Amino acid sequence: MRPLTEEESKAVFSKLANYVGKNLVHLIDRSDTPHCFRLHRDRVYYVSESLMRLAVSVARPNLVSLGTCLGKFSKSGKFRLHITALDVLGQYAKHKVWIKPNGEMPFLYGNHVVKAHLGRITEDTPEHQGVVVYSMNDTPLGFGVTARSTLDTRKLDPTAIVVFHQADVGEYLRDEDTLF
Amino acid sequence: MDVSDLLRAGASKQKSIQVEKGIPLDIDIAYLTATDPNPMDEEEYKNEREEYLHSMARENAQLLINHLFSLPVTSSPDGPIAQLPPPTTSLPRAKPLPKPKPPTRWEKFAAAKGIQKKRRENKVWDEEKQVFRDRWGRGGKNKELEEQWLVEVPQNAPMDYDPVKEARDAKTKRIAKNEGQRLKNIQRAARAKSSTSQLNPGQEREKLKVQLDRDLAQTRVSTASMGKFDKKFEGEAKLRGVKRQFDPNEKSVEAEKATSLAIMSKLDTGRPSKRSKGDNDDVLNVRKAIRHESRKGGQPRRDSQGRVKRK
Repeated sequence: MRPLTEEESKAVFSKLANYVGKNLVHLIDRSDTPHCFRLHRDRVYYVSESLMRLAVSVARPNLVSLGTCLGKFSKSGKFRLHITALDVLGQYAKHKVWIKPNGEMPFLYGNHVVKAHLGRITEDTPEHQGVVVYSMNDTPLGFGVTARSTLDTRKLDPTAIVVFHQADVGEYLRDEDTLF
Repeated sequence: MDVSDLLRAGASKQKSIQVEKGIPLDIDIAYLTATDPNPMDEEEYKNEREEYLHSMARENAQLLINHLFSLPVTSSPDGPIAQLPPPTTSLPRAKPLPKPKPPTRWEKFAAAKGIQKKRRENKVWDEEKQVFRDRWGRGGKNKELEEQWLVEVPQNAPMDYDPVKEARDAKTKRIAKNEGQRLKNIQRAARAKSSTSQLNPGQEREKLKVQLDRDLAQTRVSTASMGKFDKKFEGEAKLRGVKRQFDPNEKSVEAEKATSLAIMSKLDTGRPSKRSKGDNDDVLNVRKAIRHESRKGGQPRRDSQGRVKRK
């Protein structure tokens, strides 16, 4: 376990900022308990300071996980968000997409969100913007990237993809072996 | 039918092709260019500028065309063709002058000794055949010894002495030497170019040494086994990679927060989004919200001056 280097921080923050925008400040500069980012076995964790100080006493091979896992660094140094980061993203997401109840299951099986399943979408969402996907009763289900801007989605036909799937809570079951 | 009246009427409408000029124009007909050195008539220019400029342009163009028609003309299927003379105006070159090449070692020596460069002709006189022959190349004079059918063998020559091979080897050796000198000249020029910076010879040497060490380290790991099964020399130092350094795990959270915020602020300035013009990072579109609010009130959106009305 170690703090992130500058390049790693840059990679993580730019990926997070894709979804939460300027709200990233609230993650770093929290009013309640201070939190920090820690890297352990290529995975980035978002941990409260007290928990981090406790985890220091655990030997590296014995430490499985701590805090909230945000994602992992690939071997080529790119950062990938995991579904476990949804707690953080869902709280601070800037652009949101709500899907209808009949679209929830297809999304949770790892499919893209199609126009027919789109319930609501944040106005003025640009193209290729990271968005968090919610069910109609505001339960975060996952996140993805918009295929079209809000204006362009109006003209699409019902089967066209609106949000590209990146992660969904179904992964807790599907990728149970590799996720943690 | 008498058309002379019509012709006269038509001619009076057209302007004369004869133009009077105080100072004759400088015409470079090769570029189809005419330069008028006559001073402008200031009064006329002020009063009727357009007309004056128009007439001047016409007159000068007329003169240019008159000159064109005075040239010798040959007829062709496409019509008469005038032969343009070579240009008299010298135009400046488009590209800057090439930089002088750095002198070779010989050129430096020759300059110091005051040796003049003489052009050496490729043709040499062959006394035997009474003809001029090439100095080198196909059938060149420098291959004379190799092509002799009979060669005198030196007194102390070994048993397997081959005069043809001997001559050929000497020639290839000369070529190799020349090539080596050429490469050295290039190297010296490159070094002179790079050392025009403020490095003194000691620093230069140090820099080369560091570079050499780095290259050596690179070659040691550039084998199929990445240097693992290579022959080791005695006293060869072990390769050491770059030691990574990380911040301590338990440092003050305040300091960590500050560095994180600094990195984050750098991120924002780094890429201004094309879509977000100005302060559009908020989800709230202020312009749109104002429009929406004002429309809700059932009032006309804009007053007669085109300004948004406010309550």
